[in-house]
Amino acid sequence: MDRLLIGRALSGALSAALLAAPLSAAPLAADDFYAVIDLRAVASDGERSFLNGGLGELRFDQQHDGLRLGSVSLGFHHDWFEIVHFNANAVAYGDHDRSPVDLTEVYAEVRPYPWNSWRSRLKLGVFYAPISLENRLAGWRSAYSLSPSAINSWIGEELRTIGAEYDLDWLGRQRGHDWELGLTAAAYGWNDFSGAVLSTSGWSINDRQTTLFGRIGQPGVGAIPGVREFHRDADQRLGYYAGGSAKYLDALELRVLHYDNRANANTFSYGLDDFAWRTKFDSAGLRWTPTDQWTVIAQWLRGTTVTGDSAFEDARLTDYYAYEFHALYALVSWQRGADRLSARYDCFEMHQTLSDDFFNNNRGHAWTLAYERELSKSWSVVLEALQIDSSLAARSEIGAPVAAVERELQLAVRLQL
Amino acid sequence: MRINPTARLVARAALALCALMAGLANGALAADVNVSVLDSAGRGIAGIVIIADSGSAQPDKHLPRSAIMDQQHMQFVPRILVVQTGTAVDFPNSDQIQHQVYSFSEPKRFKLSLYAGHKYPPIVFDHPGLVTLGCNIHDGMIGYIYVTDSPFFGRSDGAGVVQLHGLPAGNYTLTAWHPQLQEPGGSALQLRVTVTDSGAPAQVFHLTRPLRVESTHSGDSRWTDY
Repeated sequence: MDRLLIGRALSGALSAALLAAPLSAAPLAADDFYAVIDLRAVASDGERSFLNGGLGELRFDQQHDGLRLGSVSLGFHHDWFEIVHFNANAVAYGDHDRSPVDLTEVYAEVRPYPWNSWRSRLKLGVFYAPISLENRLAGWRSAYSLSPSAINSWIGEELRTIGAEYDLDWLGRQRGHDWELGLTAAAYGWNDFSGAVLSTSGWSINDRQTTLFGRIGQPGVGAIPGVREFHRDADQRLGYYAGGSAKYLDALELRVLHYDNRANANTFSYGLDDFAWRTKFDSAGLRWTPTDQWTVIAQWLRGTTVTGDSAFEDARLTDYYAYEFHALYALVSWQRGADRLSARYDCFEMHQTLSDDFFNNNRGHAWTLAYERELSKSWSVVLEALQIDSSLAARSEIGAPVAAVERELQLAVRLQL
Repeated sequence: MRINPTARLVARAALALCALMAGLANGALAADVNVSVLDSAGRGIAGIVIIADSGSAQPDKHLPRSAIMDQQHMQFVPRILVVQTGTAVDFPNSDQIQHQVYSFSEPKRFKLSLYAGHKYPPIVFDHPGLVTLGCNIHDGMIGYIYVTDSPFFGRSDGAGVVQLHGLPAGNYTLTAWHPQLQEPGGSALQLRVTVTDSGAPAQVFHLTRPLRVESTHSGDSRWTDY
């Protein structure tokens, strides 16, 4: 019922927006559109990637490196009636997803002028929860490296808000204070299977965002069968998240969020051949920009995910298929002119709540070094070295060593149109 | 529209000269006042707004007054602008991206709908006080327009010095203001000074605390609001 309601509200809002478009005073302009073509030369000694049916934690592996399409990102932005901002982002990865090009985000934000120092914002559509402090480029790409942290890789894989988010901002700096504060609350549907990939393949570090109608990997291929399609609803129950943010001048930004998809873990989807996953987590992040050159970012996330057991009315952490997960990272970035250097350390763990020795248990850490140079307004190159040291017990099921050191060197050439 | 800095300087000098000559023609003598802003170690502090107000120094309505508050690299330029009451301030946007400028400060409430380039006529700031500017698209953009009735104002130079010219004899309140001042009394300091026909002693504001460190990141125009 909830889901039907929000679905109707969303389609209504989208239709109204499209109908209103011709009435808008602002005609479409060339700079409403953008495209970024990202071509890669990749060398990887990784295990077969979870994206290719294996249990490796990188995007590219030994069998899938060389010259690759990083992505083609397409975006559209348009302002209607001054205060309605419409955004759509689509991406192509050239890896035989269901559609060659598919949406990652499509939403409208209503952003009226502040009233005294208060401002409300309402977002409707498909978009990312305000968790990542790395993914600042259009199309939710990281501004600091090719591959976002384990936390934000997971968010790109399995989480999307398909619903409505309300934000209340207090713009204290307009009143001579040093702080700005914000509250966020959202209700959403179609997110009942988030947690499925994390709990079967463990954490990953990769920049492949799951698209709205796409999937992760190929059907019928994989060490561990299970859900490959996301952004689906099983139980018609809304999920929610609520959080807050604080900004100190331009120097410090803090975000906290509690997330709960409220999925009924006993609901079975015949279409996806899986039970729903009840996923809850808390997250916190801090971005510190002490000078124009330096940025420091840290994020932390801890939660649980549980899937079906008919013995219980709802998800329980004592279930066989119940997992705890947590991850954190710290990133330091230095920029001067056209050059940016970034280094990041990730560590992560996911384990069954009942056992330290379960076949899905995963833990590891990773180092990422990235150098970006903007050659011109349109062209840039990024060189990234990534090493993940991880153990994933399930690898023994496919005859691979449980512990793996996986390395990936990528040179990206980007053209922004 | 950009005004050549040299042309602006010449125009200001000409105005100052006219004012001086008008003052002399009226038989009134005018003095210059030298004001310094020093930190606790005696070093000059730049960029501090200094205003001398006698309470009777009304704006001269015959002088056309205009100023420019530009937007460059997602910042207001200059970040702090001091104008006399009645000044028309132009708000060009030199960025490639659109801005949505607003103020809900008491002395002047306004909003400029999304725009780039030079779209709107200047806005006249007709009440004294501090106007804080924002952009509804880029919350990190903060600018200040200090509107004063007094025609005698300036900002301290690299040595922390500002020279206020042509003050008629009288009692003045000298105000030093900066958004990053963190003196016990707040973001404004005051001194009393008496100007006579023969001049006035040099005035010094001694700051007991350093200006609050506030990096004004120009940001990256590629960043979006995630």
